[in-house]
Amino acid sequence: MIARKGRAAPAAGELRLGGRAPARVVEPADADELAAALGAASAAGESVVAFGGATLQQTSNPPRRFDVALRTTRLNAVYDYDPRDLTCGLGAGMTLAALARTLAQHGQFLPLDAPRAREATLGGTLAAGWGGPRRLAYGRPRDLIIGATVALADGTLATSGGMVVKNVTGYDMAKLYIGSHGTLGILTRVNFKLLPAPAAQRFAASPFEDDVRERLIAHVRSLPIPPTALVLRDAYAAHADPEDRRSSPQVTALFEGSASNVERAIRDYRSALGAAGVAETRLCDGEAAKTAFAALLDAYVAVPATSFTLLRRGVPSEAPRRALHVREALARSTAEAAGAAQGWETITDLLTGDVVARFILRAPGVDEAVAACAAMREALDGAQLIAASDALTPHLDAWGSVPATVATMRALKARFDPGDVLAPGRFVGGI
Amino acid sequence: MASLASRLLDALGPDVVRTAAEDLAVYGFDAYSDNTLPSAVVVPSSAREVAAAVRIARDCGEPVVPRGAGTGLCGGAVPSRGGLVVSFSRMNRLLELDVANRRARVQPGLINLELSNAIAAHGIFYAPDPSSQKISTIGGNVGTNAGGPHTLSYGTTTNHVLGLEYVDGDGTIHRTSIDDCGYDLTGVLVGSEGTLGIVTEIDVRLLALPEAVRVCVAAFPDVESASEAVSAIVGAGLIPTALEIMDALITHAVEAHFHAGYPENAGAVLLVEIAGTHDDVAAGESALERIARAHGALSWRAARDRVERDALWAARKGAAGAIGQIAPNYYIQDACVPRTRLPKVMHAIDEIARDHALPVGNVFHAGDGNLHPLLIFDRREPRQVQAVVDAGTEILRTCIAMGGTISGEHGIGYEKRETLSLVFSTNDLAAMGRVRDVFDPMRSFNPDKIFPSGAACGEVGAPIVERTPAPA
Repeated sequence: MIARKGRAAPAAGELRLGGRAPARVVEPADADELAAALGAASAAGESVVAFGGATLQQTSNPPRRFDVALRTTRLNAVYDYDPRDLTCGLGAGMTLAALARTLAQHGQFLPLDAPRAREATLGGTLAAGWGGPRRLAYGRPRDLIIGATVALADGTLATSGGMVVKNVTGYDMAKLYIGSHGTLGILTRVNFKLLPAPAAQRFAASPFEDDVRERLIAHVRSLPIPPTALVLRDAYAAHADPEDRRSSPQVTALFEGSASNVERAIRDYRSALGAAGVAETRLCDGEAAKTAFAALLDAYVAVPATSFTLLRRGVPSEAPRRALHVREALARSTAEAAGAAQGWETITDLLTGDVVARFILRAPGVDEAVAACAAMREALDGAQLIAASDALTPHLDAWGSVPATVATMRALKARFDPGDVLAPGRFVGGI
Repeated sequence: MASLASRLLDALGPDVVRTAAEDLAVYGFDAYSDNTLPSAVVVPSSAREVAAAVRIARDCGEPVVPRGAGTGLCGGAVPSRGGLVVSFSRMNRLLELDVANRRARVQPGLINLELSNAIAAHGIFYAPDPSSQKISTIGGNVGTNAGGPHTLSYGTTTNHVLGLEYVDGDGTIHRTSIDDCGYDLTGVLVGSEGTLGIVTEIDVRLLALPEAVRVCVAAFPDVESASEAVSAIVGAGLIPTALEIMDALITHAVEAHFHAGYPENAGAVLLVEIAGTHDDVAAGESALERIARAHGALSWRAARDRVERDALWAARKGAAGAIGQIAPNYYIQDACVPRTRLPKVMHAIDEIARDHALPVGNVFHAGDGNLHPLLIFDRREPRQVQAVVDAGTEILRTCIAMGGTISGEHGIGYEKRETLSLVFSTNDLAAMGRVRDVFDPMRSFNPDKIFPSGAACGEVGAPIVERTPAPA
């Protein structure tokens, strides 16, 4: 229907969800074309799933019906960017990496902190409701957005907000589309307030022994200049030599700000680690720090071998206990799955309270995965799926539970998309 | 069927329900000029009582208007069709404080400043600080998504609300959290001006008090040069915690009232606050002073201590009140523009006011591009009243033409609802109307607010049930 210029159209088979390919792929050139394509599909009774970089598609369930994959890739224009305003208006199909390059030329940045920035799009990151490890320092994506345009199921475009940093003119509709997983509309344009890039960045990684964990957490949580990201990483490899099975857990931190602040913060941080009995810290700066932080982000949704990954949000003070419980559950599942289990990983965010837990299988053991997922959800007191091997996605519910306000959510879905055209069945409660 | 008042009295008792005319009179208005009496007021102590009152109002077919301290500037708390007003003056407690996770759960009637005062000993604070913070409530702030002078670095109320408890049109109590899976109901409820539900509890985010704070005042020959300095500061990627401008008219009024130490011979003053580590503050001040002087600052002075700092802020936040002492009436606007447009828009406002022969004072959140021109007039002079209306509309159109919008922090309320369609298309408004359809299909929560009444937006403004004509 819509020809792509200069590139081969993506094969429908590349855009599989839950093992199913769409009947066709549409890649509109702009917002009007996208809205028209959506309206036409809607009128024809087809279902539509929006695709950005497909990096977070596994954060929601496979669709009930999957007729059209609507790619936003060509909506990658910079519509409005005067660096002196510290705001920008962008096509929702722009990748995070492309935006980062544009902003870096002017000493600015937008900390959306999603994994796989080269493929991840702005629209997809927002639709998936992603929130990364720096959100306490810089705000969540929902705090940085100042305006949005969506294509609705009836083929109309609706805008809210604007290009100013403070705006109470009309309902804050962008909040509703963020985290809606493409079930209410498809983002075509997003406006953000930007931040001046920090003058200095330093990434610190320190292995520690398990017996100092509590002391370490107490010390690094009360730093006078807190880092912008602070996570603990744990991993276990069942197949390795008995000696190497449990690699040392690591504490990693990112410090950003003026050079003098970062220097002072690192000094405080190292003495806090020292006081907790952690001797060795590897530091890197500048580009190397950026790369190390990007690798940390990528780790959230990595899919090694056959695996799945859960995310539990919560308050920071409870995160270490939750992470401990899920590690115990992972250890039990690993033992129960015997030869099928390859290992596990956890990420514990001491600033935001996020706990990420991954179970890794040697072979596609669906029964083992389903059992482990249930055990992990019990240990975490509920959790969302954020990554999984294709073989497992049809068998694991992405949400695990239904919010108490689901009736209001169903009513919103019915009012915005009465024909159930947009991503049917992907959201909470089967929305 | 029994009246709203008698049914409320039966259910909740005379301690909760007010029906006497002299009691109702104080609930008929806010800081906007309109005045319409409700038929009953409830002063509940719990969400359960709110829910019971909402159910009774629904059964009687009467509208429901929530009310904090009544400091809103746009008529958002005016019960334009009578009905029930829910006052939160008794639901004013800090319910839970979680210092480790920097969160608190509060009731909507808690006064904004009282929260920060109550938790200061823990080294934390609640960032949104509208100028009305000594009297306005956090519930009211949630309704309008209130801002304040520190929005520049901390954001507005919505950036500090983590979850809500609210009562829906059926009188059912719900709880939301921005960390729960599902649609972000919290995000759409904040700033909905009481048109979607009645908020009964608020979970807020708290921040660590900065290590150092410095407040500086620069004098400029005029508002345009001060605005150019602000555009240059933001353009250089500097984000202090506040960048506020007052023109000569406001500065004189403020000094006459507060004697805070603002330079009185200046055409405009720029109030700057820098917070962070000691190093940040020192480096920030020298960078800001350099830019200010390069753009014509005549003087630059840092407050010596906390007392001086607090005095400067108290005077700035009391500016509207100080103007009230010298002007018979004033009309305050709230447009917001991209920050590069500040000098141009300030020039345009000056010309518009001059064309209409109206004195204008400017006191505004320059760093956000959020303007507050105060058009001064005498209500008893019909010609002046018309001039204010015309000049006001012209200013809004000018701001929109420069890529701005009509309200940065005060809300749309009753006052600006007809101008909403200057900013948004019918499709844009229809999408917002769909949200309202879901939360409030009977249009019983705060009717006549936000949405235009005009035929062009009929789908949005139209009630599901027949309604009485709006008061003139």
